[in-house]
Amino acid sequence: MLRIEALTVAYGARRALHAVSLEVEAGQVVALIGPNGSGKTTLVRAVSGVLPVLEGRVRTNGDDLLSLPPAQRARHLAVVPQAVSLPPAFSVWETVLMGRTPYLNFLGQVSLKDEEIARLALQKVEALELADRRVGELSGGEQQRVLLARALAQATPILLLDEPTSNLDMHYQISFMETVRALAHQEHLAVLIALHDLNLAARYADRVALLQEGELIACGTPRQVLTAELISSAYHLPVQVVPHPFSDTPLVLPEDRSV
Amino acid sequence: MSHRFLPYLWTCVFLLLAIVLSVAIGSVPIPPLSQLRLLADWLMRKPLPDSLQIFASIISAIRLPRTALVLLTGAALGGSGAADQGLFRNPLADPYLIGVASGAGLGAVLAMSVNWPYTFWGLMVVPLAAFCAALATVFVVYSLARLGKTVPTTNLILAGVAFGSFASALTSYLMLRSTGDLHRAIAWMLGGASQAGWSPVLAVLPFLVIGLGVLVLSGHSLNLMQYGDDQAQQLGLHVTRARTVILVAASLATAAAVSFSGIIGFIGLIIPHVMRLWFGADYRRLLPLSILGGAGALLLADVLARTLLAPQELPVGIITALAGAPFFLWVLRRTKNQGYW
Amino acid sequence: MIRKLFVAFISLAILLAGCGPARTATPAPAPTQPLPTPIPTATSINLTDGLNREVSLAAPAQRIVSLAPSNTEILFAIGAGAQVVGRDTFSDYPTEAKSVADIGGSMGKYNTEAIVALHPDLVLAGEINPPELVSSLQQLGLTVYFLPNPTGLDGLYANLGTVGSLTGHSAEALALVTSLKARVAAVDAKVAAASSHPSVYYELDATDPTKPYTAGPGTFVDLLIARAGGTNFGDQLKDQWAQISLEQLVVGNPSIVILGDSAYGVTPESFASRPALGGLAAVKAKQIYAFDDNLVSRPGPRLVDGLEALAKLIHPELFQ
Repeated sequence: MLRIEALTVAYGARRALHAVSLEVEAGQVVALIGPNGSGKTTLVRAVSGVLPVLEGRVRTNGDDLLSLPPAQRARHLAVVPQAVSLPPAFSVWETVLMGRTPYLNFLGQVSLKDEEIARLALQKVEALELADRRVGELSGGEQQRVLLARALAQATPILLLDEPTSNLDMHYQISFMETVRALAHQEHLAVLIALHDLNLAARYADRVALLQEGELIACGTPRQVLTAELISSAYHLPVQVVPHPFSDTPLVLPEDRSV
Repeated sequence: MSHRFLPYLWTCVFLLLAIVLSVAIGSVPIPPLSQLRLLADWLMRKPLPDSLQIFASIISAIRLPRTALVLLTGAALGGSGAADQGLFRNPLADPYLIGVASGAGLGAVLAMSVNWPYTFWGLMVVPLAAFCAALATVFVVYSLARLGKTVPTTNLILAGVAFGSFASALTSYLMLRSTGDLHRAIAWMLGGASQAGWSPVLAVLPFLVIGLGVLVLSGHSLNLMQYGDDQAQQLGLHVTRARTVILVAASLATAAAVSFSGIIGFIGLIIPHVMRLWFGADYRRLLPLSILGGAGALLLADVLARTLLAPQELPVGIITALAGAPFFLWVLRRTKNQGYW
Repeated sequence: MIRKLFVAFISLAILLAGCGPARTATPAPAPTQPLPTPIPTATSINLTDGLNREVSLAAPAQRIVSLAPSNTEILFAIGAGAQVVGRDTFSDYPTEAKSVADIGGSMGKYNTEAIVALHPDLVLAGEINPPELVSSLQQLGLTVYFLPNPTGLDGLYANLGTVGSLTGHSAEALALVTSLKARVAAVDAKVAAASSHPSVYYELDATDPTKPYTAGPGTFVDLLIARAGGTNFGDQLKDQWAQISLEQLVVGNPSIVILGDSAYGVTPESFASRPALGGLAAVKAKQIYAFDDNLVSRPGPRLVDGLEALAKLIHPELFQ
């Protein structure tokens, strides 16, 4: 599980995150939502140790993640970034194998066990048939799945995803989120996923955390957080929340003034 | 499994061919039969006939040490070029991107402005000054580029270009002010083995072994760095430390190469690209292949430099520039993997 | 398959080696020329050269490679021309020198293989050769003598004597020195009668016509102009290879302009047509002359030719 305690991050004088506290249990999917500039990416980067932190801690089962060296930390926490400007010349197989880095020696020599884990990871995201293709030839959705496989190959209990669905079409958005939710539940992963699409968050997250200007405004079930008042105020846009016609989750729609 | 070794095999064959050509060809034509005879006599430790003495002396005293020095220089340029392209994720990167060449030139010209006594160390001052100045440049550029605990690549490039321009300008000024040594400075800068004998080879060898050795072992780190600092670190690489180590190793190799051979361009830029186009972008393989390929390519260029306009000898840097660019364009058009660098 | 290719490569390489460049000076592995006319004495020659190196020859050198045009001129002037077996690319005087084997030298690159293949017993280097070259040749087992640039005419005479000793032509060298001294004395005598010492601007380089280079103090040009009865315009400057601006030239207003860069296409007309120079005294009096820079830049016996030429240009009235 992942526990973020009063995390404060500053870019120079500007506070990007202010005392954010959040907990993600194993087997849980927590969606991180908020308008542009609210600090979603900053939070993911800070938690993964890439951004220096002013105050606060990030813990997992007792270990202080931010004080660990990168190789150690990478065994606890894996990140799936957005699939943009990936080095096009590596093959899918080579890319996924790089997820095994925390367990490899300095030279990057892989063992049969590493290859087995990589193969399994590709299977879980249903991308095994892409193994010999070059990353540059793949579509956005395929690339995103490859990055997910790479993170899975890292075999960590915690998974962070930074807006992985932003560049995907509807088909890939749904299939990706289905895979993530299934993996979280089956493998007991603690998943923190930054999303911009509120309805995806509503449908696939167990809990939702709403960030606004670096502060955690609300955290709870989708129904608790995705209310008209909270969302309208956070996004500076009047919205309506209606019950989903087919499921139990809320549906967020921008208000239609013309009606 | 054997197909993994094919690239190495091809490159080694290429290098071997280049070595043979470099030893066999020179401005003084030595008939192939005589060369084979010399080789046979040497292998069997028989004394050489008088008529072949002059050939033996040319080969052993001039061509062999020169071949060795050119080979090492090419290896250093190829290896550090590949490392720099990986480090900066920039296809235009070459060993001189962060100002090493300009710094070395400044050091050499400064040393040339003093009349050193004609002793062993007196003659070593210029290459030594070039070497130290090159390393000092990297240190200054690195310090300028550092931002807290990280060293962003953009800063390195900017600082390198700025400092390099400054050093070049200073060098040009010094050269204009010098009276007689303009010849010497220009000859040094244009490149090509200036000192004969084995002492340059021995002087350069330890730095190359260390520098290139570290680079060959850094292939995996470079692969990871292709994804950007964030992802590399998230995958478990200590990015700043790896970058520093690779930078130091590449700079050691480049500085050693430049100190005796002047500033030879295009090898460090083009050979890694050619290897990448033919054999893939995995840096674990790209680095050793670029080292071997760089050595072979520079040897061939040196052979051409010696023979095209004999008895004149062209500076090797001119050959690499003239031949390198069109050759690379040809490779680019012929290969299937266009666009994937 | 791989092995076949390998063998093919090696064979190809050796084949190519055989067809090396044919255009080189083909040196024979052993001297084919008959020995020149009697060389006196079997006593060894021991000298210290310009780099403080001890140089010894068992006998006067018979196969000499000259690495500087000035050295070539000296060798031929003292009668040792037949003993020169190799020379650098820029040695073009006297004409006989051009038929001697060329061993490189442009862009600072000398063909050490060709030098070694000529079996020289003496290599005569000059200040335009870098010390690295001297060291390389020495390491290859050759005897190298570094002839330093003279600072005055006395230094020149000493150099002539040195080369005379090295080549067994001491008597001719001495005779040459005597005749040179006589010619210089003649010029001195004429110049002593000069009533004025006109200001002379000697142009070395005008690649950028707005910022040309002239000879400063301490150069041979400076020395010779003074000796020829003129005042070197560049004497007031600091560097030997001194750059001046057009403004300085206009203000300084030299009486005579000598174009040492005429070999690069600068003519009196092109000089006169440069902006702002139309009002120079030298231009108005049409005292602009093309000049062969080799006569004053090569530290050899032709320096005296240069002195005489300068004197005739600066004081034509004394040389009717």
